[in-house]
Amino acid sequence: MSQANTIDIEPLLHKDEVHRKVYTDPDIFDLEMERLWHRTWIYVGHESQVKNPGDYFATTIGRQPVILVRHKDDKIHVLYNRCAHKGAQLVGDTSGCVKAFRCCYHGWRFDTDGALLTIPLEGGYDNTGFCRDNPDTNVKKVPRYDSYRGFVFASLSAKGPDLKTWLGGVASSIDNMVDRAPDGELEVTGGVLRYTHDSNWKFFVENLNDLMHAIVTHQSSSQTARIVAKRVMDEKDEVPWAVEIFSPFTNRYSFFEEMGLHAFEYGHSYSGGKVSIHSAYSDIPGYVEALESAYGKEKTLDIFSENRHNTVFYPSATIKGPIQTMRVVKPLAVDKTVIESWTFRLKGAPEAMTQRSILYCTLINSSANLVGPDDYESYHRLQYGLQSEANDWVSMHRHMDQEIVNADGTIEAEGTNDIVFRNQFKAWKQYMSAEDA
Amino acid sequence: MTSVTSLAELDLKTVEEFLFHEARLLDEKKWQKWDGLFTTDGTYWMPASVDQPDPLNYVSLIYEDKLLRAVRIERFDNENAHSLQPIPRSVHLVSNVMIDAYDAVSGTCTVNSRFVVFEYRRDEQRIYGGAYIHDLIFDGTDFKIKQKRVNLVNCESALDNINVYL
Repeated sequence: MSQANTIDIEPLLHKDEVHRKVYTDPDIFDLEMERLWHRTWIYVGHESQVKNPGDYFATTIGRQPVILVRHKDDKIHVLYNRCAHKGAQLVGDTSGCVKAFRCCYHGWRFDTDGALLTIPLEGGYDNTGFCRDNPDTNVKKVPRYDSYRGFVFASLSAKGPDLKTWLGGVASSIDNMVDRAPDGELEVTGGVLRYTHDSNWKFFVENLNDLMHAIVTHQSSSQTARIVAKRVMDEKDEVPWAVEIFSPFTNRYSFFEEMGLHAFEYGHSYSGGKVSIHSAYSDIPGYVEALESAYGKEKTLDIFSENRHNTVFYPSATIKGPIQTMRVVKPLAVDKTVIESWTFRLKGAPEAMTQRSILYCTLINSSANLVGPDDYESYHRLQYGLQSEANDWVSMHRHMDQEIVNADGTIEAEGTNDIVFRNQFKAWKQYMSAEDA
Repeated sequence: MTSVTSLAELDLKTVEEFLFHEARLLDEKKWQKWDGLFTTDGTYWMPASVDQPDPLNYVSLIYEDKLLRAVRIERFDNENAHSLQPIPRSVHLVSNVMIDAYDAVSGTCTVNSRFVVFEYRRDEQRIYGGAYIHDLIFDGTDFKIKQKRVNLVNCESALDNINVYL
């Protein structure tokens, strides 16, 4: 029995505070990998990353290396990235296209659905029990995988709710992002940014819908951008996209309060709704027209009536529908996390829409950007601050019990309510307390 | 004013001195002077993949025009820029300077060089290496930077904060 299995979860959480060990204890991290990341639905990749048969994308689910791959019948599979023979990783790079997977070590070949094709000198396995009628000679598929409007999630557990049920109220955030494409489809584009943080993954995930932090943390970038723009621009100048992107981070507190929060079962949430920090971007010529000609005026208005900020698919991914970006969480250790940032092209929309999303990603999500490093500085100080024995408990008291719980169990609250954190930890506790998958 | 009409006449030493001067301004935190080396429409670009064809359709680590450089430069002196407190220090080494092309008509020359940058902040030293590609405008006496492209050798890897201009 590992050290992790002896951890008693109950004493780590109160309804309004969480024990600091939850962010700093490596044994708790190990248990999180086993019971949360290796059980719930984890975002794997987007269907557009594997457009053609044989296309693959190698990534991870928690600690497990996996391959997202499109088979010749067009079906997408998620396979463990492990040769069925001796266990070497089947693919060593992050993406590519193959007719078949051939292991680099002893040359076993597998079809893109994992089925064994050939073994060199196969007769050597006659009567050993490890010949091709043994299913263990195929590359193993992960227990469950499914996709929702192009977004592929997988679960390493055979049990639990199906993807649609699990997504629940945040499926509508994917709908709204996809519906923003006049052709009704998204496509990953423009490369990926990978940003290392020396801090626990939960700090990043909590921060996404922490609407109390932006004004303080991003003052130096957002306010400076406003000041510089005022200084260098004439009044008649068009406001550059960069300034439109930076400015709302220091909107008034009342703006963030009014943005609102929505929280759901399994730890999901989104902030924003009718408005968000993405609401005031300028129109890009031709876009609204393209959407109206695809869907009609009424549905177009309906699509734009939702303007959500971050939607969290707890624990592994977050999207920004109105600017078509996605960040994917890769926990590596209790104090090490990599955040991947992806950009989506709205098929059928003017290219300028994609270029603005690319700019957003560069400005906000890169390792050298002007906004993210100040978030990261806060996570870093949290990771070290919580070594302190001054208080074992981390507060999530703000607007306690002020949220509205609807009849269907969904939760609504003002934007600065800590309900998002309380809701995440409610799900966290359920996963972490369940000994069986 | 001397008039340079061909690659052969463009003095490598003059180009090198310009690059060394630019690097030194960064190390000495003379940001405004450094920014003044750029043309009005000059850009600083650090791609996120080494063969990246352009900064508009692909994400970059940094892609900055004059306005964005002004925001970054003001942040260096802003006590609320928490990730820059304490302010990072840097040492830039520039070498292997070669003039790849010179176009006498536009006065543009493309200079390829290699760099190593040490960044120090709060007990931690980071080392960056890569290639610079400077598109310079030469008017016979002075250079201006039309674009400085920084090809970080490990630009595709997961990177921690990069706090200084490389």
